[in-house]
Amino acid sequence: MAKTNPDDILHVAADWWVRLRAPDATDETVDQWLTWTLEDPRHLATFERINEFAASLRSLDTVTHRSLVRAFMRPAAPSRRWLPWTAAASLAAMVLGSAGYMGWAHFAPGTTTQVYNSAIAQNRDITLPDGTQVALGASSTMTAQFSRQQRRIELRNGEAFFQVVHEPSRPFVVGAGAISVRDIGTAFDVRRTGERVTIAVTQGRVEIADLSQRPGEARRGSLQVSAGQLVSYDPAMSSMTVGSIAPEQATAWRNDRLEFIDEPLSVVVANLNRYSNRPLYIADSDLDKLSYTGSIRTDAIDGWLGALPQVFPLRVNKAADQVILSDAKNAVRR
Amino acid sequence: MAMSTVTLTVHVDEIERLFREHNRALVAFLQCRLSSLSDAQEVAQEAYLRVLTMDNREEVGSLRSYLFKVAGNLAIDRLRKRKVRSDFAAAQPGDEAEGETTPVHHAIAVEQVAGLRNALRELPAKASQAFVMHVIEGRDFAVVAQTMNLSERMVRYHVANALAHCRAWMDEKEMP
Repeated sequence: MAKTNPDDILHVAADWWVRLRAPDATDETVDQWLTWTLEDPRHLATFERINEFAASLRSLDTVTHRSLVRAFMRPAAPSRRWLPWTAAASLAAMVLGSAGYMGWAHFAPGTTTQVYNSAIAQNRDITLPDGTQVALGASSTMTAQFSRQQRRIELRNGEAFFQVVHEPSRPFVVGAGAISVRDIGTAFDVRRTGERVTIAVTQGRVEIADLSQRPGEARRGSLQVSAGQLVSYDPAMSSMTVGSIAPEQATAWRNDRLEFIDEPLSVVVANLNRYSNRPLYIADSDLDKLSYTGSIRTDAIDGWLGALPQVFPLRVNKAADQVILSDAKNAVRR
Repeated sequence: MAMSTVTLTVHVDEIERLFREHNRALVAFLQCRLSSLSDAQEVAQEAYLRVLTMDNREEVGSLRSYLFKVAGNLAIDRLRKRKVRSDFAAAQPGDEAEGETTPVHHAIAVEQVAGLRNALRELPAKASQAFVMHVIEGRDFAVVAQTMNLSERMVRYHVANALAHCRAWMDEKEMP
């Protein structure tokens, strides 16, 4: 009658683990547990693995600890599902997705267009004609097109934090590659690294639509996201992931700190380059996919680079005008 | 005199056998209680010592049960002391400078953390929250239950589920 499926043993072991930890666990419970461990050698071994796993989670570094707590301690679970693209779901977004977007591309009369740039390592504060406040990250470019019907921003590269003056009759829409973000009374941050986009909402709500559409494919849905949520758009998968983020984390870059949650090293490097006069390059493409979580001070990139080989299997070669990150394995072979 | 020497010898043999047969389980039991392997090993040593020096062997039925009972009580004492210490530490001014510029403390395995996050996302929100509060933050079941407005039994159920789920997830990833 003993359970033989390893998955079953794992569940039973986890169950024993919580029962033994309960302050009211009786001597009888301990005896029963002991009997269970003697039934099959795998039982105690599995229990020990649970112990080990729990111990490793108690000794997480502060950044990881905090990011996990932030991500999963919220009372409202982040919605992870696409809303179906139906007429009922969002008529407004439909207008925005087709006619509205085209209209902008054609530069309707009465539209004013303004281009904003920032230099490497220089953040810039901008007040738009409608009073909306924009903090533009370093080495970033955006255009603003304002008409009587719509306010449209295109983030061409980099990062920007928007505190939008809400006008119900004139939507505020930020485009970033395939993604469009429509404000519903809001403050939010948009970071565009190539075609990869992350959106962090610090106040209110936004509606995010994926405007990419491949031939023969149904149009994708839109997603409503509220304060405290972080959406990452991965162009390779054409998918969005919803997680959580604290407001101070989303705008940490305004205080010279870049925060990354599960971002590929290539994205981390591209964003650091907006703040570094000595550009970083990744020589071996297999390093691109390494996933990084943590914060980096933009005024201490060198220190971070010095410690990087302890975390990832890579080598850092610093030259006067550039820094090369290469695979530690390949470096040995050369 | 002769009698008591004989009793002690029998008793020592018994403890040697207990150690051989159940030490691994005793340490696992204590590690589960204390969330620390080194503390578990220390407390186990102390428990053997207590059993070895007991003077009422005849009053105790199963020596094995007695050993685990003594060890369990020692663990409770230690948790209590630890709590006093951490309350004291919490009352001290915090030190926020945690070397954010260096990624050194990510060395545990960045990929594993990413995996854990994905595994937790697959779970019901209550399970992942209970897991984070109890296993990662180290809060008692009672505190988690109160915060989440659940019974302690439900909290334990969620934590056990999440634990098995995440552990299984990590196992899959560890396969070559």
